[in-house]
Amino acid sequence: MLRIVVIRLIQAIPVLLLIAVMAFILMHLIPGDPAVVIAGADAGPAAVERIRHELGLDRPILEQLLNWLVNLGTGDFGRSLVLNQTVLSAVGERLPVTMSLAMLSLAITLPIGVFLGILAAYFRGSWIDAAVMTLALVGVSVPAFWIGILSVILFSVTLGWFPSAGYAPLLADGPGAWLSSLIQPAFILSLFQIGFLARMTRSGMLDVLDQDFIRTARAKGVSEWRTVGRHAFRNALVGVVTVAGIILSLLIGGSVVIEQVFALPGIGRLVVQAILARDYPLIQGTMLLFGFAFVVINICVDLIYLWVDPRVRYD
Amino acid sequence: MTKSLSHLLRRAALVGTALVALSVAAVAPFDADAQPRRGGTATYAYISGPGTLDPHVASSMVELEVIHHLFETLVAMDEKYNTRPSLASNATASPDAKTFTFTLRKGVKFHNGKEMTSADVLASFERYKKVSPNASVLADVESFEAPDPYTFVVKLKSPNAVFIDVLKSPVYPFAILPADQKDKAAREVDIVGTGPFTLGEWVKDSHLVIKRFDNYVADESMPGPDGLAGRKTAYLDQVRYNFVPEANARVAALQSGGADVINDIPVALAKRFEGRSDLTTLSIFPYCMQVYVVNTQQGATRNPLVRQAILATVNAEEIIGAMNAVAKPSHSLVYASSPYYQGDAMKPYYDQKNPKKAKELLKQAGYNGEKITLQTNSNYPNMKDAILVLSELMKEAGMNVSVDVVDWTTNASNMQRGTGTWNVSTTSFCSNPLLGPQQWRVMFYTFPQVKDDAVLDAAYAQFYGSLDLSKRVAAWAEIEKRVIEQAYMIKIADTGALRAFNNKKIENFTPYYLVRFWNVSAK
Repeated sequence: MLRIVVIRLIQAIPVLLLIAVMAFILMHLIPGDPAVVIAGADAGPAAVERIRHELGLDRPILEQLLNWLVNLGTGDFGRSLVLNQTVLSAVGERLPVTMSLAMLSLAITLPIGVFLGILAAYFRGSWIDAAVMTLALVGVSVPAFWIGILSVILFSVTLGWFPSAGYAPLLADGPGAWLSSLIQPAFILSLFQIGFLARMTRSGMLDVLDQDFIRTARAKGVSEWRTVGRHAFRNALVGVVTVAGIILSLLIGGSVVIEQVFALPGIGRLVVQAILARDYPLIQGTMLLFGFAFVVINICVDLIYLWVDPRVRYD
Repeated sequence: MTKSLSHLLRRAALVGTALVALSVAAVAPFDADAQPRRGGTATYAYISGPGTLDPHVASSMVELEVIHHLFETLVAMDEKYNTRPSLASNATASPDAKTFTFTLRKGVKFHNGKEMTSADVLASFERYKKVSPNASVLADVESFEAPDPYTFVVKLKSPNAVFIDVLKSPVYPFAILPADQKDKAAREVDIVGTGPFTLGEWVKDSHLVIKRFDNYVADESMPGPDGLAGRKTAYLDQVRYNFVPEANARVAALQSGGADVINDIPVALAKRFEGRSDLTTLSIFPYCMQVYVVNTQQGATRNPLVRQAILATVNAEEIIGAMNAVAKPSHSLVYASSPYYQGDAMKPYYDQKNPKKAKELLKQAGYNGEKITLQTNSNYPNMKDAILVLSELMKEAGMNVSVDVVDWTTNASNMQRGTGTWNVSTTSFCSNPLLGPQQWRVMFYTFPQVKDDAVLDAAYAQFYGSLDLSKRVAAWAEIEKRVIEQAYMIKIADTGALRAFNNKKIENFTPYYLVRFWNVSAK
């Protein structure tokens, strides 16, 4: 298993290099000057030029790219142009927020999405199937920021159940405050994914429920619960694991909007602000770390395959 | 009228209704005899977090609002935005306007407990000259001197009649730091000032706390606070700034008790406070001015006649109506309270709504349907709407117009650096109209990319060289006329800001350009 992990990590190096170069090129193609952002609207042209020079933005693009890549090779992700801290420390400070949000969302998404998918498949064609699929369609279609605003009006302003915005750190404020600050955004972030997972689970289960071995199990008198839960779902699980990996990636990516709406100081908000300020090192570094996170998630999914389906081999 | 313009006007009517419905409470003036309670916390839901608290490089409103609680300047803006001594007890200019002497207040303490002296002032000004994007205003300095611990002298190479006024700028504040910060690079200073609050916890992107500075030495010569100067008293134990970028979440925070004060409220959302007697909405004027900026170095708008044709098309009522903002029509580039205000002199140029005149000017200019690009951004709806209405007005006058929507950073960079292929854009200026001609100067040249304008150069030379206020006012008249007549900038409106606070939880929260928490107390 260790060999598989090492091979996958080595295979990821060219992918990450490509992400690094693409992130650099794309950011520098976008017009807008970080020196103007740093100098402020009231600064004259000379002040802007001085800041450009101090930041090295007046050097040839190729030279800037090579410098960045060489520094990356030594583990130096660079320094944010705006935050006055290193990229790694800026990301490190915000990582617990985004990971808390993503993990809580995943914990909500997986049981609900799988359960609804199985339910819809088992009662295919019935009103239950139609209701679950309609719910899934709504979850996939409604924009998260809109449902977030409505949710705040209902649960924070009218009912007063949850805070309207902000994050309470787990260690400093305790699990109650932490959960209270995250449950609303996490649930909204889950809505899209629950719909997605329910549809994929239903589709996988429908394939399996028509198989001969299910009919055989039923003919042998195996209980319906055991037939569906153990025999059918176990065989649909490979598809579910694949989707769960994608969902975790989407949850991390989806945090960009939700963190903005709920004022959560996570990586999503960091990226938005970095893009608005054209904070090149921070955007590039964060993209690269996002890329690395997705690679790790894929490796985890590959390893889970081995456990879920003993027929899978990585020779 | 085109379909899109009708749509915008319908929206404008809705916004107008919202504005009428909006309850803007009258706020009692500061009562020096009242005995506010000491203690408590005010929570302020704030649009975003500061990037830096280094006063010498800070220019964004979110930074300045915090900074002015922590740091102070020799002179500062008073309630009417005029110049008033703050850390200095007195500021005098020599008859030739080349030597400025500041007498410092005695016993003023930094947050680190040390007394502020002229050595700190001198070091702060020297640092400012090295690191501030606004350092050009000190380029003419011959020397800074500290002849005794409570006297600071600035000598200039040439006369500058408004040098003391320059130092009251709330943007890139000339804040006094301890002398040991002199060699600290930009954005790397220790946050140690003389203000009524000290910096507490600061979690980037989340929140920032300022705490009452119990050893604060107030300006006893004044009965109460006066703008950013005067006798400031911190009653609150602390103020917590929560960074909440989404307007709906800020409004919800005030409604649900998660915040005591909020800022930057869109007009439509302010209606949610109707029927809540515990929530008071404040409409802040003066705040900013919105103008169109016309690029003098790009295509058709190089020609002053084409620029004047654009000026002639402007219909302020239609544009303001579409902007979904708190705005008032105004023709001037300074406010009526300013000594530089020119009365109705600029009125003939404003709100001309004269497409016929525009067509004549275009004919004289030899305009032949060259494309005129109006650039705006998707971040600020008021700017986008102002550009969309202008584009329709220009089309009515026969101009070939295209609208280019980019993000604010691109838009701002293009205006400030003259990059991109835009002819007209729009932005808001806030401190500039408040502080007057000297604060406008860089903007007038930079944003419209003005080059080689002998008239403007001469008027500014006269402005800086005139010790007599009436001559400076006359010079400003020339400057303002030149900027508007040449359509470097086209005035749209004075724009305000909406703030709200919970009047059952805090008191003495008064309207001002920047949000202030000194003399505010918890109930």
